Amino acid sequence: MAQHSSKGARFQAVTANRLNDGEVVYFKDNGWVEDFAEAEIADGLEAAEALLTRASPDNLEVFILDPYLFEVSESDNGFTPVSVRENIRAKGPTVRLDLGKQATAH
Amino acid sequence: MYRYDEFDHKIVTDRVNQFRGQVNRRINGEITEDAFKPLRLMNGVYLQLHAYMLRVAIPYGTLSSKQMRMQAHIARKYDRGYGHFTTRQNIQYNWPALDRIPDLLDELASVEMHAIQTSGNCIRNVTADQYAGAIADEIEDPRIISEIIRQWSTFHPEFSYLPRKFKIAVTGHKNDRAAIKLHDIGIVIVRNNQGEIGYEVHVGGGQGRSPFIAKKLADFVPAEKLLAYLEAVMRVYNMLGRRDNSYKARIKILVHETGEAEMRRLVEEEFSKIDSSQMLNLPEAELERIAAYFAPPNYESLPAQSDSFETAKQNNAEFSHWVKTNLVAHKTPGYGIVNISLKPIGGIPGDATDAQMDVIADLAERYALDEVRVTHEQNLVLPHVKLDDVKEVYDILSNHELATPNIGLISDSIACPGLDYCNLANARSIPLAQEISTHFADLDKQYDIGELKIKISGCINACGHHHVGHIGILGVDKKGTEFYQISLGGSADEKASLGDITGQAFTEDKVVDAVDTIVETYLDLRQPEERFLDTYRRVGMEPFKEQLYAD
Amino acid sequence: MPTKTHLIANGAIIDDPWVFIDDDLPLGDTPSIISLDRLKTEADALRSRNAKLGVVLRTDTQGKTKLGEDVRELAPYLDMLSIIAIDFPVYRNGRGYSDARILREEMGFDGELRAIGEVLFDQWSFMARCGFTAFEIDADIPLKTFNEALSELGEAYQPASDNQRGVLWRRHGL
Ligand code: HEM
Ligand code: SF4
Repeated sequence: MAQHSSKGARFQAVTANRLNDGEVVYFKDNGWVEDFAEAEIADGLEAAEALLTRASPDNLEVFILDPYLFEVSESDNGFTPVSVRENIRAKGPTVRLDLGKQATAH
Repeated sequence: MYRYDEFDHKIVTDRVNQFRGQVNRRINGEITEDAFKPLRLMNGVYLQLHAYMLRVAIPYGTLSSKQMRMQAHIARKYDRGYGHFTTRQNIQYNWPALDRIPDLLDELASVEMHAIQTSGNCIRNVTADQYAGAIADEIEDPRIISEIIRQWSTFHPEFSYLPRKFKIAVTGHKNDRAAIKLHDIGIVIVRNNQGEIGYEVHVGGGQGRSPFIAKKLADFVPAEKLLAYLEAVMRVYNMLGRRDNSYKARIKILVHETGEAEMRRLVEEEFSKIDSSQMLNLPEAELERIAAYFAPPNYESLPAQSDSFETAKQNNAEFSHWVKTNLVAHKTPGYGIVNISLKPIGGIPGDATDAQMDVIADLAERYALDEVRVTHEQNLVLPHVKLDDVKEVYDILSNHELATPNIGLISDSIACPGLDYCNLANARSIPLAQEISTHFADLDKQYDIGELKIKISGCINACGHHHVGHIGILGVDKKGTEFYQISLGGSADEKASLGDITGQAFTEDKVVDAVDTIVETYLDLRQPEERFLDTYRRVGMEPFKEQLYAD
Repeated sequence: MPTKTHLIANGAIIDDPWVFIDDDLPLGDTPSIISLDRLKTEADALRSRNAKLGVVLRTDTQGKTKLGEDVRELAPYLDMLSIIAIDFPVYRNGRGYSDARILREEMGFDGELRAIGEVLFDQWSFMARCGFTAFEIDADIPLKTFNEALSELGEAYQPASDNQRGVLWRRHGL
C-alpha cells in the first residue's frame, strides 16, 4: 500500500476510515473530524507518535478502522497532505469532482 | 437464462440473513474488525479510499432486464447514481454504507443476484464468453457449465479458505474472449472424434506480480466427470499451494514450481481417488435441467439481410461507422450482436449511470430478448437484436452517450479504479485512459490505427490486465509520486502472450506522448493488413524503444 | 487463539478425556494424543499399549510452513487411532479441510475428528461438512451459538463428508 509517513517528516496527522460508512476521518483532540482542514497536526516525530497512540482504539467501542500517520506540509494557506494518495483521500476522486469531500467543500 | 429454484433462493437468502447478523454484531461491537473483515470480504465488501465498495456478482456476465434495472435502482438508492463494470464481469458500487448493505443484498436477492464469493480466498465468480449463445460456431453455450460450476463452488466447505483467490473462466468458442489462459482454471469446451462434448482444462494462468499463461492439463474431461476433475485440481492446490507468502500463493506459482508434467500427474492421481466413489458424477438430468434454461430464445425466422438496416447504413455515415466496430454477426439470420461501449471519449471506462442502466434494461427488454451481457473489456452487449431494429437501438443509445463507435479501438481501453478509489493503488489509472482517449478522439485516426487494446492498472495486482494489453500501462509509485511503466505485445486471446516492458517508467505528463510515439512507430512500420500486435510480433521491441527513449 | 477453550463433540459440551502429550514426555495409561513423528517412530511399541491413542496433524503455529504434515502418512496406523486432531494455526489456513475429507472419504477413518487451533464461528459449519465431529472453541461461546452457526446455511449444493447429498443431486432424488 502506498502510504507515506513518519521518518524524516516534520508534520504529520492521523487518519482512518469510519466503521459504519467508511468515511475518511482525521483525529482531532480526542475525537474525529471529516474535514482535513480541521485535523490535528503533530510537529516532530515524538508528537506524531503520541498523536497516533491517542488516536488508536484499544477497545471495540471505538469504531474507527486502522488509524495511521501521514505526512503533511505547511504552505501559505495552511497544511496539505504530501502524497497524491492522501490528497485524494482528503478530497475525493480526481475524476469525479462532484463526489467525495470536494463536492461539499466551500 | 437460469432461474433460481427454491434451493437457490434459500441459499442466497440464508446468506443475506447471516451477513445481516454479522454486520449487526460488528456495529454493536460484539466482534472485532479482525474477525469481521474476512466475513465482509466473503460477501464482496471492501474498504476503499473514500468508502466501502460492494462487488456484485454477475455470473458469466449475463443479466436480464429486470436485473439490470435493479442495478440502476441500487445505484440510485444506495450509491451515488452510478456503477462500475469490471474486467471480471462484475459490477462495483463505490459508496454504500456498511449498515445499509444487508438491505441492498436483500433487494439483489429479490432478482436472483448476490455478492457471494466476489472476494476472499475462495472460488470467485465464474466468467465466460460474452457472446455465449449468440455467436456462430460455438460448440456449447459456456453458461451451462458455468452455472453448474457456480453452484458447485458456492460455499464449498473444503475450498473456502484456499491459499489465495481462485478464478475460473469458460469459453465455448475457438476465439477466446474470456481470457481463459489467464485464469487459475480456464476451460475450453471441445468436441471429440465421437462427436461428444467435453472440457479441455488449463491450469495456472494469472496476472498480478508474476504473470503466467495457463498450462493445458487435460484435453478432454467428459461433462459427467468435470466436477470430480475440478475438485482434484482444487485439492492438490489446497494441499500443496504455498501459504508462506501471499505473493507466491496462487496456483500459477504451484504449477510453475512443480512443473507441468508433475502437476498433471498429481491431479490425475487425486482425480482417480476422488472419482472412485462416483459421488461427484454430474447427473445427466441436472445437466439437462440447467441446459434447458440456456436453450436458444424464440428467434423469428427472418431473411439474412434487412433492407431497412442496409438503407440506414447508406444514409447515415455515423451509424455505418458504429455498425463496423460495434455490431457483430449473430448465428441467427436477421439478427446481430450489439456492443454498447462504456468508453465515451474522455469518459471513465466501465462506469454507467443509473439512467443509462435503465435505458439499457429497457432496450434489452424491448429489442434483445431480455438479455444484457457484461464483457471483460468493461463494455456491455445486447446479444440478440433484430437487424431491422438495430438503427432504432442505435438512436436510443446515441441519446444517452452509449453509442461510441470504438469497440476494439485505441479509445476502448480497460482501466482499473486505480488511486482514485483503490486502497492498494500506486497511481491513478482512469485519468490516463481519459487522456489517451481524448488524444486519439478523431475517429478516422482511430480507424486508421485499427485494433489496439490499451490496458491500464494502478498497481502490480494487474486488475486492469496491463500484462496482456497490446499496450499495457502499469502505475508505480516513487516516493508518493505517480510513475507509469509501459509494456508492449501482450494479448489475452487464444494466442495469449505477456507484454514486454519498454524500459524506464514515465511521469504522468509523458504517458500520452509515449503512447503517441508507439502508435506513430507502428504506423511507420506496418505492412498492409497488419494490426499493431502483428507488427510488434514481427519487428520486436527495438524500433519502439529507439523512438521512445530517443533523447 | 482463545486462551481458554472448551470441547464440543457430537453436539454436546463435554469434558475432554484426552491429553496432548509432548514428544519428550513419557506416555501414561490415559487416552493420549501424540505427534505424527512420534507415532511413526514408536509405532511398534504403541501397538501393545493398553490405552486409547490419538494423533495431531500440525502445520507450525504461524501457519507459515510451506506445507503441513501429510495426512496420507497416517494410513498404516489408522487402526490404532481413536482420534485425529487437526490444527488450524490460523483460520485462513484451510488445508485441514482437505485433510479431513481425505480421512473420511478416502481412508475411511470413523473415529473422532477434532478441529483445534483457530476454530471460529464462521468455519464451524464448513468443518462439520468436511467430517469434523469435535471442536475446541473459545470457552465463552455457548452451545446454542455453536448450533446456530451450524444451521445458518440450510442447504448445500455439493456433497462432502457429511450426509447432505448436495442440491445438484437432490433435485433429481439422487
Ligand atoms: C478496489 C478494490 C480492488 C482490490 C482491493 C483488488 C485487489 C486485487 C489484488 C490484491 C489482486 C492480485 C491478486 C493476486 O495476484 O494474487 C487483484 C487482481 C485482479 N483483480 Fe482486483 N482489486 C480491486 C478491484 C478490481 C477491479 C475493479 C477489477 C476489475 C476491473 C479487478 C479485477 C482483477 C483482476 C482481473 C485481477 C488479476 C488477474 C488475476 O491474477 O487473477 N479488481 N486484485
Ligand atoms: S490494479 Fe491495483 S490499483 Fe488497480 S484496482 Fe487492482 S489493486 Fe487497485
